[in-house]
Amino acid sequence: MNEGLSVIYKGQSERISGVLRKLLRESEAKCSLLVDKDGHLIAKQGFTHSLDTTSLAALLAGSFASTKEMAKLLGESEFSVLFHEGKKDNIHVSLVGQRSILGVVFDDRTTVGMVRLYVREAEGDLEEILTSKSEGGEGIGVGFADQANERLDQIFGD
Amino acid sequence: MVSINYAFREISCKIVYYGPGLSGKTTNLQWVHQKMPRERRGELISLATEKDRTLYFDFLPLDLGSIQGFTTKFQLYTVPGQVYYNATRRLVLRGADGIVFVADSQRGKMRENMESLQNLGENLTEYGYRLDDIPLVFQYNKRDLPDRASAEELNKLLNYRGVPFFEAVANRGVGVFETLKSISKIVLEKTTHQDAMPPPEPTVPPPQPRQKPMQSRPIETPNPPSVPRTPRGDYRPHRISPLRFQPLRAVEPAKPAEGTKRRGFFLWRIFKRGGKR
Repeated sequence: MNEGLSVIYKGQSERISGVLRKLLRESEAKCSLLVDKDGHLIAKQGFTHSLDTTSLAALLAGSFASTKEMAKLLGESEFSVLFHEGKKDNIHVSLVGQRSILGVVFDDRTTVGMVRLYVREAEGDLEEILTSKSEGGEGIGVGFADQANERLDQIFGD
Repeated sequence: MVSINYAFREISCKIVYYGPGLSGKTTNLQWVHQKMPRERRGELISLATEKDRTLYFDFLPLDLGSIQGFTTKFQLYTVPGQVYYNATRRLVLRGADGIVFVADSQRGKMRENMESLQNLGENLTEYGYRLDDIPLVFQYNKRDLPDRASAEELNKLLNYRGVPFFEAVANRGVGVFETLKSISKIVLEKTTHQDAMPPPEPTVPPPQPRQKPMQSRPIETPNPPSVPRTPRGDYRPHRISPLRFQPLRAVEPAKPAEGTKRRGFFLWRIFKRGGKR
């Protein structure tokens, strides 16, 4: 929680984007989002311009958390896949490792079976990238807190 | 957990409004949503019952813009305050970087305030964290109601850490932004401090091998060599038995036995004579 940070480095992000692009190409899905369990967006690919991806990420994490509680009531530790079917668009949600969730939005150009097949392939690659050690970032910078305080005073008033 | 994405150059923090039922948590978010400029905020999402009581959570994303090249975002959540929604309350608390405890100032609500604060501590413990450590501010709401406790009384009752507190009338916007600004500053200051420290090891445990690995067991020798103990005292390098480990030696090719050579010669002579001895 407040112990430490969840950090995604540039190298990791590029590799994740590559895996998501391949997933979309093979499964013919519309877009994909990788989200951490706290609801923060890690990466996105595909047609996401018309989507509020920040809210979608929070809701994906929320729905996954609530189904985990349902799973516990049934004696399962966790449900690893969720599927929501709509009239036009559908969403396939699956767990990646211990901390991340992959959401794939698709329509009638493909099927849930195809999406599920390629998502399973992608899950292993994503987990490997997320658990691998990457090169460090340059850091936030010493003056960040002071500048952030000034910005907060501007926005919320002195 | 604060999320820093160096590829997007984005910092994202999660702030949770906690407190007893009907204390004004959702009202805080509604006011922020109403008054923040459109470019600074997303849509307010409320997962509520038909009677507008929070069922799961309210969610409001805020964008502070670029600070030192990092787009800084806040995600504001509220929890359902009603006692019997503790399971969902605990889920929303996951990954929180800062807590705003919205207390109801009415004297008749003191017991509910205390129970909610205790519940917050218990739910944090479930994730392995402590109420004493997490960034926290108090908001004493409903200061416009007649039968209200004083801020001193509320501090004595709830604010045992002596963290910042704000008197508020959330439905009129009094104290709403002051509270949000205070918790935001505390969270960002802590983030800067944490980022300055060496990066932690990946939190996700590596995949476990499917089979239990074989345990190597040192072979006891009659006179085991004495192993110097390390400062930790619990580490002993594996010993290799001199009986099992032999150094490699150059091996000369074996000479053929004497009888083998002579038997070959006689067989050759028999063959030359056409099978006659």
